[in-house]
Amino acid sequence: MPNDDMQDSLAEKRWLASLARGDSTALGGLYEMYGERIFRYTYRMLGNRTDAEDATAETFLRVLKRSAELRADGAFRTWLFRIARNLCIDKLRQHKLLELPMDAVTGASEERTTLRITVQQALADLPMEYRDPLVLCDLEDMPAREAAEMLKISVPALKSRLYRGRRALRDKLGGTIGISR
Amino acid sequence: MNSDFYRKLVDLYAARELTEELDEMMDAQAYNDPELAAEMHSLRDTVDLLRAQPPVEYTEETHQRILMKLYARGAQPEMTAPEPAHLQYHLPIQS
Repeated sequence: MPNDDMQDSLAEKRWLASLARGDSTALGGLYEMYGERIFRYTYRMLGNRTDAEDATAETFLRVLKRSAELRADGAFRTWLFRIARNLCIDKLRQHKLLELPMDAVTGASEERTTLRITVQQALADLPMEYRDPLVLCDLEDMPAREAAEMLKISVPALKSRLYRGRRALRDKLGGTIGISR
Repeated sequence: MNSDFYRKLVDLYAARELTEELDEMMDAQAYNDPELAAEMHSLRDTVDLLRAQPPVEYTEETHQRILMKLYARGAQPEMTAPEPAHLQYHLPIQS
């Protein structure tokens, strides 16, 4: 809702101003605002909880490190996701996580768990340029304009990657989980 | 309208971003064009499958572990709420 957005924006400005003045406790406010979203994003990118928790914590430590430079001009959220994305890419490179098994989902039926892991694995097999838009727009429901800003590309370029990514994912999944073709 | 027109709309059809009228026109066109139908439906199935993926669980344990990692690295984040609002209340059926 617009009112909520305005309140969030004001709160974000307040926390960033406090951080810039050297009040490191203000990091808690920013973590409360964005911690869950950053965790969900890093989990989708990395596929396991432990690494996603590490990447989330590291993202907020970067906020603290750069607190004097951060501007409360609306670009903070984009910057934050970009930092999280870079950390995910580093982790994928360092640990070759693509070869590790994905987390199982506790409490879910075996069939749903298998389906989720199949989709996660297929996503993980996609090139990063396709995986990013699919995670941001189709899984995390981020508006196209915001996702494009985060990835430093135009909206038409984002849409193009999204379409090509969906086709690539379909081709990986087709036949294994009954996608009609 | 020729078949190229409909093929250009496949991605929007898959993402359910077409108007109801155009959506119906696509379905009608697909009835006589099996190749178009396969493309439309397989892509829509893919998008539906992605969007139906269960949300990532952000548990209290995860919240606490991330905080611990921040404290361990010298950060002193101060929470305004004791824990995220959705973690404060539990339904009786939840363990």
